[in-house]
Amino acid sequence: MKIQFNTEQVKLKKELREYFSEMMTPALKEECERDLGEGGGPLWRTALKQMGRDGWIGMGWDEKWGGKGLTPLEQFIFVEEVMRAGYPFPFLTTESVGPILAEHGSDFLKKTFLPKILSGELIVAIGYSEPSAGTDLASLKTTAIREGDDWIINGQKMWTSLAHFADYTWLAARTNPDADKKHKGISLFLVPNSAPGWSCAPVHTLGGIRTNVTYYDNIRISDAYRVGGLNEGWKLITSQLNRERLSLINFGPCSDLFNQIVKWAITTVLPSGESVIEQSWVQANLAKVRAYIECMKLIVYKQSWAMTEGNLDMADASAAKVYGSEAFIEIYRLLGEVVGYAGLIRNSDEICPQASKIERLYRTASIITFGGGANEIQRDIISAAGLWMPRASR
Amino acid sequence: MDFGLNQIQREIRDLSRSIFKDNVTPEKLASYDEYAMPRFDEDLWSKLAEAGLLSTCIDSDYGGSQFGFMELALLLEEVGRSIAPVPLASHCLSMMGIQKFGEEKIRKKILPEAASGKILLTSAFLEPMNNNPMSAHSTSYVFDGKNYIISGRKQAVPFANQADYILLSAANGEDLVVFIIEPGAAGVSIKPLQVTSFEPQAEICLNEVTVESSQVVAVRDGSTLVKWIFDRMLSLICMHQVGVTDAAMKMSASYTSERTQFGVPVATFQAVGHRMADSYIDIECLRLTSYQAASLLDLEEEADIELQIAKIWAADVGHRLSYSAQHVHGGAGIDRDYPLWRYCLWLRHNEMIVGGSSYHTQQLGNLIASGRGLFS
Repeated sequence: MKIQFNTEQVKLKKELREYFSEMMTPALKEECERDLGEGGGPLWRTALKQMGRDGWIGMGWDEKWGGKGLTPLEQFIFVEEVMRAGYPFPFLTTESVGPILAEHGSDFLKKTFLPKILSGELIVAIGYSEPSAGTDLASLKTTAIREGDDWIINGQKMWTSLAHFADYTWLAARTNPDADKKHKGISLFLVPNSAPGWSCAPVHTLGGIRTNVTYYDNIRISDAYRVGGLNEGWKLITSQLNRERLSLINFGPCSDLFNQIVKWAITTVLPSGESVIEQSWVQANLAKVRAYIECMKLIVYKQSWAMTEGNLDMADASAAKVYGSEAFIEIYRLLGEVVGYAGLIRNSDEICPQASKIERLYRTASIITFGGGANEIQRDIISAAGLWMPRASR
Repeated sequence: MDFGLNQIQREIRDLSRSIFKDNVTPEKLASYDEYAMPRFDEDLWSKLAEAGLLSTCIDSDYGGSQFGFMELALLLEEVGRSIAPVPLASHCLSMMGIQKFGEEKIRKKILPEAASGKILLTSAFLEPMNNNPMSAHSTSYVFDGKNYIISGRKQAVPFANQADYILLSAANGEDLVVFIIEPGAAGVSIKPLQVTSFEPQAEICLNEVTVESSQVVAVRDGSTLVKWIFDRMLSLICMHQVGVTDAAMKMSASYTSERTQFGVPVATFQAVGHRMADSYIDIECLRLTSYQAASLLDLEEEADIELQIAKIWAADVGHRLSYSAQHVHGGAGIDRDYPLWRYCLWLRHNEMIVGGSSYHTQQLGNLIASGRGLFS
């Protein structure tokens, strides 16, 4: 038991912090803020490729596939730092799709996709949810029908984030409508977003972030673009979601926001003459935020450690997702209270430089309690897998 | 970064868990209910001494097993899991304070006997209406050129009536000195208090108690000693709470899995399962923050921020879990023939002792306001 980073990890953190502070030019920062934490702009693309050239993408990947073979902990330090710097890193592509492809993809897929992901040239969107398949994902209706060496794909996907600038969609489709259990008839494909029959329409959300509905109209792709075993896609989906859950509760940006707000509260004087932080309720709010983030940090470090040891617990992965998503909401609320009315102003940071960010973060935070697997389902998993409680059949 | 236990830590955990499992039964615990007798199982205490578990952090020179603070912290988790009636935290911390700050003469006199369980130690640092033992307002001393004369009042002293020696702090202006006093010394009166948990606690009144220089543990670094012990006391309370909460949660999970209503186990109702899932998350937060604080103290590193955070969780989770566990037991939990109720008393004890959630939130807020606690 030693809950501290070793010297190399501290060094890595420092190196990354310096690297990103140099990388995040004012112009790139502005573009990232304009794109509301989604990325996709030209400077964003250039920076991603630069990161790839500098060997920062896929640090946790096997050396065989061009990674550095570092542990999930170093990998997490990387994601923490890049997010903290304010760069919307496409972690679903690099941390979740990539490693699964390396594990389950054919040689062709590995050779086609992995080098491009590592060099920051290829972005993948996730296509799971449908208008009538959300939490009950296995009831999805998008079909892939075999025709010779090809598959013909038809259907519609919801919440296909990044699809408007991504190169491929990691698509779950039904390949066996007659399977005895619905999750046993699903396969995974990598569908090029440039394929004839692919189209995309924006969905604008509460937080301002754009996501998409994507349409698949008689798209023909070769069987070579199928990932993993036929009708064995469910396993890949759940394993991808487990990895995604961990990435979702990255506390890097949050810890930086906390630091900034504390500094602001110490140095800002109210008209009454006292500083913002002299108000006892402000201290209490900041203390609560500090305690929330500390747990988030420990939870993800523990999970990264558990992944390194090869014993990531399913209940703990779900606990991390529930805790993190709900803590974020509370954190933005408490920090929003500290900046007060400024936390409602979108077009000016005159009072507090972080206020408009809090204004937006509060609006965007509601996504994570249901995105990546509804928290109710996660709680079901915790009581069953973590406490061995029986659960009702569905 | 290592969240796992090493070989020695696993052995200590397994050994203590099995000793407590065999020796702490609901029937035995029942004999202390309502203060029928002092909540101190001396047979169990001897067994712990024989197993070398009383002297975890004590050097082998004094007969100790010479492990670190983390091992003691893990031991306290097991005390919490079993709510064993033993004064382990107060005894061990007092020994550790003497070992670290006392002169060799005092160490030789007290530590070997304390390590073997022949004598019992405790500490009196807390005072009425004051959660900060680094500033003693209610107990003061004067030095008459030869002896120290102490007067004042200490509160929440565990096992004061059972102890052979009491470590006690007293102030003279800015100076804080730590003495060793004997409970039977002239001018010392001990008033037993009946607290929620049934643990023997007392208020100590000191009326011009004369103490020789040889009984001084720390003069110049008295406040350092008090802080050093108090940090570890906070940590052990949190670790104890980890054990208590975990046991109460598991009891609730088992009960709801077996209890049927409407023809199905009540655990299958999502509202029940989710309440338990929230407890699971709560306890994970408490465990991680408590382990972190203990691990820092084990390395003799500063842990001010981390301790406050752990104690906030120990208090909040204790409160929430107590009511969740009772609620899902639906009546069985309040029945004194079922073991849960005693756990709820300890959940409350650990929540409130040395300050509740709001107090520690404010303490943490003060640290943040002074510019500490930023994320690196």
